[in-house]
Amino acid sequence: MTDLTLVELASAIATRKVSAVDATQACLDRIARLDGRLHAFITLDADGALARARALDADLARGVSHGPLHGVPVAYKDLFHVVGLPTSCGTKTAEYFRSDRDSTAVARLQAAGAVTLGKLNMTELALGPFGDNPHHGNVDNPWKAGYVSGGSSSGSGSAVAARLAFGALGSDTGGSIRLPAACCGIVGLKPTYGRVSRAGAMALSWALDHLGPMTRTVRDCALMFELIAGHDPRDATSSRRPAPAVRAGLEGPLNGLRLALPENYYFDGVTAQVKSAVESAARTLESRGARVLPLRLPDPAGIVDVCNVLARAESAVIHSRVLRERPHELGAAVRARLEIGLHVSAHDYLQAGRLRARLAREFVDEVFGEVDAILAPAIPEPAPQLAAVTAGAVEEIVRRMGRFSRLTRPFNGLGLPVLALPCGLSADGLPLGLQIVGRPFDETTIFRLGLAVEQALPRRAPRD
Amino acid sequence: MSEPGPSKGSAAQAEIAALAGAIERAAGDLSLAEEPSNFQAVLEDGAPRD
Repeated sequence: MTDLTLVELASAIATRKVSAVDATQACLDRIARLDGRLHAFITLDADGALARARALDADLARGVSHGPLHGVPVAYKDLFHVVGLPTSCGTKTAEYFRSDRDSTAVARLQAAGAVTLGKLNMTELALGPFGDNPHHGNVDNPWKAGYVSGGSSSGSGSAVAARLAFGALGSDTGGSIRLPAACCGIVGLKPTYGRVSRAGAMALSWALDHLGPMTRTVRDCALMFELIAGHDPRDATSSRRPAPAVRAGLEGPLNGLRLALPENYYFDGVTAQVKSAVESAARTLESRGARVLPLRLPDPAGIVDVCNVLARAESAVIHSRVLRERPHELGAAVRARLEIGLHVSAHDYLQAGRLRARLAREFVDEVFGEVDAILAPAIPEPAPQLAAVTAGAVEEIVRRMGRFSRLTRPFNGLGLPVLALPCGLSADGLPLGLQIVGRPFDETTIFRLGLAVEQALPRRAPRD
Repeated sequence: MSEPGPSKGSAAQAEIAALAGAIERAAGDLSLAEEPSNFQAVLEDGAPRD
């Protein structure tokens, strides 16, 4: 049953071919069998999930459907607050983040009928792209033991790829949805800034945080996105635009769409296999009617500097209490990254915010005057071995972190929507990741392009 | 409780100094009208026309 996609399962439950209890139990069975190696979950709520599934089955039996996710088991990165479950944010403190309400994104999925399996492992405080965690275990890559699962939404990537859950929510401040999606061979969306409410989820950087869905297919991702998008008065940065009906546009034609393959930065230092897979995806889209052209993008160095100043200052403020009172509880690299932010001046922080607005305007005007979307690799290489990238001095580990997330980070500063999805496998069987970047609030186009890429590739899943 | 922070001369101090320098050089010619909240207006203005 866990071979079904989220959309297929939702349909099977709606037509009563499958029960919510059976679907939930199937996930729990896989978790019992595989999570000892994967470490994808921090909190498993098996009793709560089964009770909810039984209630949903009873409702459906009397003709009451809660919505498009009725009975579908999903899970959430452990920085989304779910009432009744602890929110550790990947730290040693079980209830690091507290709230008296569910996060808005979770509440919207639950209102649509989702079953909550539990809370997913993550890099401590969402700081780090490799998926290691000193308190809850390193999240393993389902495709190859001992390899990076990607972070910081590591448990979300691993759980969805390994079919422990039909979908998950993650957060992305510098690539934390797209990196695990790419490493684990699944689909992840970083929506436009302001599109999905961040209320009720731990912040790492108010300026750069984005919440989004992680799933096995583009259609699954589009459905979850539709359900969580839209204005929320609990989040001051939430856009008032209505939630988009992206699924209605999935099958639209690609004729006339102009796509950029960047001439600078995004292919620098990228392995030949990754480059070839992204170019192959571009040819697929060309064969479906899109026009692909080389384009020099504005130098990302400026927006990356802006991101670094904003992220360091804001994360140090948000997590100042643990840094002040319990610094020994934090991993060395996480502590080092937070401490830097204590030394960012108010002057530099505000200048970075002003500069961001100008750089975003220049990027949108220059690039989206020429093309409708950008194609780029999500990771510069297939997932590396975890032991190799987490060895050595803290400064070297932090440098490796920066290199691994260099392709995703600029788009957090720019606030643009980005879909990450698989575009092939490496010679040794690890996923290769593509990112498709759209104009602001144009998630519809990147989902349409993503579906075309997905349809051209064989459906692959890691072996147990 | 002492204030946590990198020691003098550390790589962290160097990183902050480099970032500050880069931001200052790039922000030198910002117009007086530029403010951080313009960022969200840029996104709204850049959305596809219905």
